[in-house]
Amino acid sequence: MNSPASAWKQWLAENGPRLLLFARGWSNSRQDAEDLVQEAILRMWHHQADKGGGPPDLPLVFSTIRFCGLNHHRSETRRRKREESVIYLHDFQDVWLDPLLEEDEEALILRDAVQNLSQKLREVVVMKFWGGLTFLQISETLAISPNTAASRYRYALEQLAHELRRIKEVRHAQA
Amino acid sequence: MHKLDPIETILARMMPPALSAEGQRGIEDMLDELAGPLPEILPVKPWFRRPWVGAGAAAGAAAGIAAAILLPLALPRLWTTTAPLPAVALEQEATDGVVLVGESGRIKSMSMQGWQENPDGTALRTLRMRVVEENQFLDEETGIIMLVSEPREEYLLMPVSAF
Repeated sequence: MNSPASAWKQWLAENGPRLLLFARGWSNSRQDAEDLVQEAILRMWHHQADKGGGPPDLPLVFSTIRFCGLNHHRSETRRRKREESVIYLHDFQDVWLDPLLEEDEEALILRDAVQNLSQKLREVVVMKFWGGLTFLQISETLAISPNTAASRYRYALEQLAHELRRIKEVRHAQA
Repeated sequence: MHKLDPIETILARMMPPALSAEGQRGIEDMLDELAGPLPEILPVKPWFRRPWVGAGAAAGAAAGIAAAILLPLALPRLWTTTAPLPAVALEQEATDGVVLVGESGRIKSMSMQGWQENPDGTALRTLRMRVVEENQFLDEETGIIMLVSEPREEYLLMPVSAF
């Protein structure tokens, strides 16, 4: 007899990376992002309890991560106001995306560009490209229209293309 | 079939990293704890291997006759409380009988409300959000599940570092 946790663990193995990527956009560090994923899964467990107990659909999880992230951001903002300063040491292991090839210059440029997108554009890109959601599902998760979701995605791709061109021109000029 | 944008082609050459071993283990341990222990399944022998089957019908019939004779005499005694039941120590602390069984939260809508300037000169983007938190409570006495919705409006100030 399999434990109910078995199905969730398998679901986590399949979807953990995309959930972590989305949570990373709502966190200051990889550690915080993992905490966010764990909190969201805990909420989802209770939510699914009277719906058969199986793993949840991805759009709902993304929405919950976002909700938890906003709560953390609020409390973090209040905490920073109380403390003099918060210094986050740069963690060179804390990369949001891994290029399949180490020397893929274009991928490395776009990796930084994705991280630097505004939150509302980055969310759509992450959910669409790595989350595998449709624009309709993204629109329901973000409480926007499907057209707005599609527009943000296209605009994000344009910004990424612009940034790629700019970096390449700078490097070419320096060469 | 959707033709990939050149940027999408490059994005496809990147994958999000997996959870750290510690993070993965933490979540899996949490899931195990939430699921609780599996119920103990006692081994059941096939009926033809049980020892009493071999006792035979005669023995069973004799027992039946004896029971028919003796049962009316024994019945009152069976229903008599011969000793008080041992007190069961209740480990649960006294509650009001209402238990939280589920909670969820979602953002109903979000809209930008403009810009503000921090005293230190940094720019802040003001976001207005309608958030709904829902908690499910079980009344242990009646079995009724109550859904408590808490809608609220919040304003979130987010620092802007790039335009």
